[in-house]
Amino acid sequence: MRKRNRLRLLFSLLFWGVTAAFAQDRTVSGMVTDAAGKPVSKATVQAPGAVQATSTGEDGRFRITLPSGIKTLLVSSVGFADQEVTITAGMMTIRLESAQVSLEDVVVIGYGVQRVTKVSGAVSSVKGTEIEKLKPVRAEDAIQGRASGVTVVSAGSPGVKPTVLIRGIPSYTGTDPVVVVDGSIQTLDDFNSINPADIESVNILKDAATTAIYGVKGGNGVIVVTTKSGRKAQKTSFTYNGNYAVQEVLNQIGVLNASEYGAILNEGSALSGGKVIFENLAGLGVGTNWQDQIFKRAPMESHTVAARGGSDRMTYFLSGGYVSQEGIVGGGDKSYFNRINATANLTFDLTKKLRFINNTTYTNIKNAGVPENAINSVLSNALNFDPTLPVLNNVAGTVGTYSFSPRILSEIVNPLTQLQDTYNQGMTNKLYGKLELQYDLLKDLKLTSRFGYTNTDVSGKGFTPLSFYGPSHINSTLYADGAARPGSHNNVYEYKTNYFNYTFENFANHRFTVADRNQFDLVAGFSMARVTGNNLSGSRQDVPFNSWDFADISSATGIATTNGLDVGSYQYERRNLSYFGRVDFDHDGRYLVSGTLRRDGSYAFGANNKFANFYSGALGWVVSNEKFFHSKAISLLKLRGSYGITGNENVNPQYQRISTLLYAYNVGQNAGYSFGNEPASTGATIASFRNDDLRWEKQAQLNAGLDLRLFGNKISFSGDYFQKDISGLLFTPTLSLYLGAAALPMANIGTTRTSGVDMNLGYTDQFGKDFRISTNLTYTKAVNKVTETNNGLITGGGYGIPYQSVTRFEKGYAPGYFFGHKTDGLFQNAADIAKHASQPGAQPGDVRFVDINGDGVINADDRTQIGDPFPDFTMGWSLSLEYKGFDLSSFVYASVGNDVYRAYERNLAMTNKFRSVLGRWTGEGSTNDANTPRYSFVDANNNTRASDRYVEDGSFIKLKNLQLGYTFPSARLERAKLGGLRFYVQGRNLITLTKYTGFDPEISGGIFDTGIDRGAYPQARSIAVGLDLKF
Amino acid sequence: MKKATYILMAAGFITLSTGCSKFIDYDPREDFQITADDYLKTADDYQKMVIGTYSPLQWLYANPVIGDVASDNSVSGGENATDVLGLQHIDDYVVNANNFYMTEAWKSCFEGINRANYLHENKAKLDFAGKDALYGEVYFLRAYYYFELVRMFGDVPLFTDKRLSASDSRQYQRASKADVYKQIETDLTEAIRALPTVNSQKGRITKFAAQALLGKVLLYQNKFDAAAAMLENVVNGPFSLVANFGDIFLQTGENGTESVFEIQYSNLSPFYDWSNPGRGQGNLAVQMCGVRNIAGNSPYAQGWSINLPTKELAAAYAAGDRRKAVTILDIEAYKTANPAMNITYLVAPYKNTGLYNQKYHPRKGETSGQIELNYLNNYRTIRYADVLLMAAEAFNRASTPNDTKAQTYLNRVRARAFGSNVNNITVTGTALRQAIWDERRLELAMEGDRFFDLVRTGQAAAKITGFKVGRNEVFPIPQQEIDISGLTQNPGY
Repeated sequence: MRKRNRLRLLFSLLFWGVTAAFAQDRTVSGMVTDAAGKPVSKATVQAPGAVQATSTGEDGRFRITLPSGIKTLLVSSVGFADQEVTITAGMMTIRLESAQVSLEDVVVIGYGVQRVTKVSGAVSSVKGTEIEKLKPVRAEDAIQGRASGVTVVSAGSPGVKPTVLIRGIPSYTGTDPVVVVDGSIQTLDDFNSINPADIESVNILKDAATTAIYGVKGGNGVIVVTTKSGRKAQKTSFTYNGNYAVQEVLNQIGVLNASEYGAILNEGSALSGGKVIFENLAGLGVGTNWQDQIFKRAPMESHTVAARGGSDRMTYFLSGGYVSQEGIVGGGDKSYFNRINATANLTFDLTKKLRFINNTTYTNIKNAGVPENAINSVLSNALNFDPTLPVLNNVAGTVGTYSFSPRILSEIVNPLTQLQDTYNQGMTNKLYGKLELQYDLLKDLKLTSRFGYTNTDVSGKGFTPLSFYGPSHINSTLYADGAARPGSHNNVYEYKTNYFNYTFENFANHRFTVADRNQFDLVAGFSMARVTGNNLSGSRQDVPFNSWDFADISSATGIATTNGLDVGSYQYERRNLSYFGRVDFDHDGRYLVSGTLRRDGSYAFGANNKFANFYSGALGWVVSNEKFFHSKAISLLKLRGSYGITGNENVNPQYQRISTLLYAYNVGQNAGYSFGNEPASTGATIASFRNDDLRWEKQAQLNAGLDLRLFGNKISFSGDYFQKDISGLLFTPTLSLYLGAAALPMANIGTTRTSGVDMNLGYTDQFGKDFRISTNLTYTKAVNKVTETNNGLITGGGYGIPYQSVTRFEKGYAPGYFFGHKTDGLFQNAADIAKHASQPGAQPGDVRFVDINGDGVINADDRTQIGDPFPDFTMGWSLSLEYKGFDLSSFVYASVGNDVYRAYERNLAMTNKFRSVLGRWTGEGSTNDANTPRYSFVDANNNTRASDRYVEDGSFIKLKNLQLGYTFPSARLERAKLGGLRFYVQGRNLITLTKYTGFDPEISGGIFDTGIDRGAYPQARSIAVGLDLKF
Repeated sequence: MKKATYILMAAGFITLSTGCSKFIDYDPREDFQITADDYLKTADDYQKMVIGTYSPLQWLYANPVIGDVASDNSVSGGENATDVLGLQHIDDYVVNANNFYMTEAWKSCFEGINRANYLHENKAKLDFAGKDALYGEVYFLRAYYYFELVRMFGDVPLFTDKRLSASDSRQYQRASKADVYKQIETDLTEAIRALPTVNSQKGRITKFAAQALLGKVLLYQNKFDAAAAMLENVVNGPFSLVANFGDIFLQTGENGTESVFEIQYSNLSPFYDWSNPGRGQGNLAVQMCGVRNIAGNSPYAQGWSINLPTKELAAAYAAGDRRKAVTILDIEAYKTANPAMNITYLVAPYKNTGLYNQKYHPRKGETSGQIELNYLNNYRTIRYADVLLMAAEAFNRASTPNDTKAQTYLNRVRARAFGSNVNNITVTGTALRQAIWDERRLELAMEGDRFFDLVRTGQAAAKITGFKVGRNEVFPIPQQEIDISGLTQNPGY
């Protein structure tokens, strides 16, 4: 029965289409104004789905001739929301609403667009204009705090990927959301090559209703990026945006100066029964502050030139961009990120019904980096190196530009020597985009065939020269006279990697109305996706002259027989095959119903589980459109709810691999053996377990939300509560050790639960003619808990030598929580120690560790949760004020409850110490702070074991952006033939309020590395001037 | 016409959907990965898998260190109290179940056993020339891994029929020590039957190695009669004592006339991975025992001052015993004696004894790659002198003792040590037994057997400070294994 109605409907549509084609043309005219009634010039007026288009004149008026079958007009203009109006007879007046508050905003969702009012799922949107304001190098930095439900932990190093979490950490295998750029599927890594100035909008799909159409890839949320395109019948408008900034470090960490260092070393030595190290303390003075030596003031600039417009048959958006950022650690020689972008987004109407879209972007990136966030990072060396030395080497008869320590003989080296000996460079050439055909089979039935692709070539080189860190330093590969130590070689490493990904998608969108008030939006299609990577790398020893200038495999002389020549390669491939469909139903603008189905096949899954089904359903009720609802204050009240299943396939096929490696960089894969004096014999072994039952990780998400607009849309509020339950968690099980050392198989075990709240509150208003205010507040909270891992446990990131792991993924706790001992002050005397549980090696002044399990012995079993690196909640507050030509905008970001593990303190006997040591325990009653135990070279109590004395509250409030601009009045510019001219000054990261004692409490990384500060690259403070020009 | 379009579309869709499902099939060969399905199809595959079964021997580099550090021979040393923490705990007799070195030994031995089992499991799959002898090596290796386990941990899980798969996790409990020893004897007996007396490559297991190991295994079970008979085969084998004791431990002395079984290491495949330091072809234990920051013209290279001989061990050598200088490097004395070498070094910062393990001290030019990880020094697992002393003990403790034979064997070792017969032992009975035990210490010091000898002979409590009878005879089962597999822990841990 229902089928027959459907068919009748199709035929009626068909008939309607045929009549329209034979109808007469007619002329429509009108005027486009802004909310205040002022004319809007250069607005595009077009017939949706047809080729006819025009633009408004200076007086806002337009005239267009259309076939009479066309009943609506689409009006669009930069800064305003698109508006579709029904054609009326006579002079029409079309009032555009500013882009900020319009009810007619659309959001881009999977395989379609939806009006904001009709969305029943959970979507956060960030406009291109907001991204442009921050002028970031990577677009994620602009999402931070602006999109509720998204947590971004920014990185400090130029161009490095931040941590991006959409609605918490439900899974262990990867948290990166899927990134869809103009319909093509990419990854978060690809954000490094998108010029943020090219972005029209970013929509973040958060709940199952919106992500289920991406099925097995949707589990971590989806970031939908839409880049700019041209508009029909619009004169070319050119823009230029330029920005020049100077960056610097915000703060330094308090370390001891030379005489303080000398005194503490003398004390440490004396307490452990050694000799006095510095006889003349007074002569040491303050010495060298190594932090001053490595931090540089570094420039950053960006330029974008763009042209957009269109004729009546094609539109175009062309853009060229250049970004150059030097690093504040080590300066532009050693740390930089330079990017060139060229984009052409073109749309052609090939026939009345057939449209061809070609988006192409070429990106070239050159970058270099310094060792960071590790025990051997430049920052770690700057903090821990000997302050008594001069900057330059003044020891006769020794090579080396910079000084060396006669005392520190391992691990820590002069950071300047390290910087000098750091040589690497990377080059990325990337071409990405899409080829798309759209065919209007019927007026509202569109077929789309899209081929999205990304081809990336990455090549790079690194050089490890022979170095001199001191005659007795174990890392020295040169003798003091500059001769190479026996067995030491310099080494050059080169690699080339190609990544090629494509998504081939074919789908149909059908929109139709039944009985006037029942609108349907249907989409159905299928998709094939392939991701490949292959790499070839080589390294060779003995570069001539020990010099970067000659560092190339072709010039190095190491020969294969001594393994001075080494090669490697890898390749991988992932493939997916998917079918999807969605129905959106809207009854009278009041009741919204949406259903999604996706069937996904993944090459990664076991032979027994190749395909998976995903689905979601959503309901929305626009209360404010009900007849009974009468409120002047409330212009929109919508209730939303959704439930659905998405997945995660972050896993590789699990088969029983044979390894023939002589030696193994993975435990359990070594299969070589060296008989006698012969070269090692190649052996073989089983290196992994198989799992044919491997399947997708299943995520069920419930979402309940509310949208509210008040007082003529001046105030908008949107709030969502969600709960995600993961089952079949992809996890490496902990299996009996007696299974041996082969790589354990990934399996579907365990569950997690994440719940939270996203909120967004906006206010926009205009006072008088000249004063506008717009402000927005976001709130993001997610609580993550691992609820089952079948006794499994993943030990994650750590630090130091010997390596101490401090993060874990474990049942009953938040993913990636900090794990270690709890401290309980200091032992003041022998009686304290006697009273306490047995703690071998403890002396008065040592840290008292808590006997968590109460067994009377302090050992590894007493470790417990000591912190959580992920914030309890984050907030973002943006404010924008405009008065006449002046505009002032600011953005404040707050992260609350994120702990930081302070792991940059090396604490070897001879390394420099931190200022807290000045408050150390010196006798009974002097202090009871576990952070300041007695100081001695011999730490029999292991005061430095992983414990909460290193965990700090990393909550912070950052003034991420503050900008003051002036736009010249248009009357004056017209004489100069300019469309717009704006100057501004901008400050980024001007102020950080935090209790954290390190450089920057924002420390990005994966689940296991976020929040561990091993000397992480801090974000720079920068002051910029900029120019936005339109002509 | 439009209807036709719909039908076409639908048909196209269905065709594509069904035709494409192959798109997501996966074959590891796409990634050039060899899987078990491709393997054990030629004799060469079997040969390679046997070599792979040898590999875990190299991972056990720390076991000899443990054997001395746990005894009265040496202290853990290191940089400070937390450096090589697991060894510190072993040295200080506060070892707990979370000991890194225990967990490594446990995992490595079981990996070796699983590798051997995989070959055992697939024995019938292919026949080829030399298969029987090749399998002799496999069974020897399985016995060796089980012997390391049983003497360190006592009762351990016992499985011999197959390589375990993921579903076998948690399925095994500890088998009794007696059962494990029984299996070791079975494997070694089979190995002795199958193995040739001379093998194709130096370092490959021979019949004599299997006989020596079986003799040792029998000795550990106090089966002295059988041990004596078994060891006698080796004593009468083609071995001889190297005249100059020190030569044994030089590169040129590797796999020499005194070598019955050596775990092979090499610097010919440089290795760089600090995160899995024992998984290359080099011997990390060598780097461990070196003098810190030693510089000058001596043959020695720098190390980490771990496994430092005790002064008490040094004092145990009688005057004229040439083994003392070979076993122990008194660095300060050496520096004074060789002023031309311009030696400088850093005094061991923790538990300094001033003495270093000379037998395995890192030497210049004997490493490559990441210098710490690639020392070539073989671990002299069973030397002919060891066989002589074991045989001497077996004859002395046999149901019908043969002290004359015991004295002869013992005195062959002593004569080499002193360069003459004047120090020959003439006592008999229990005095001879003690003399043999003491001789084992002097001859084999810093070669990793002392702790196990003290336990085996019941001397541990008397000789080792902190040793508790009923507890310290074995080490704790790794806590991880207790937690995962629900194994029982050894008493006292």
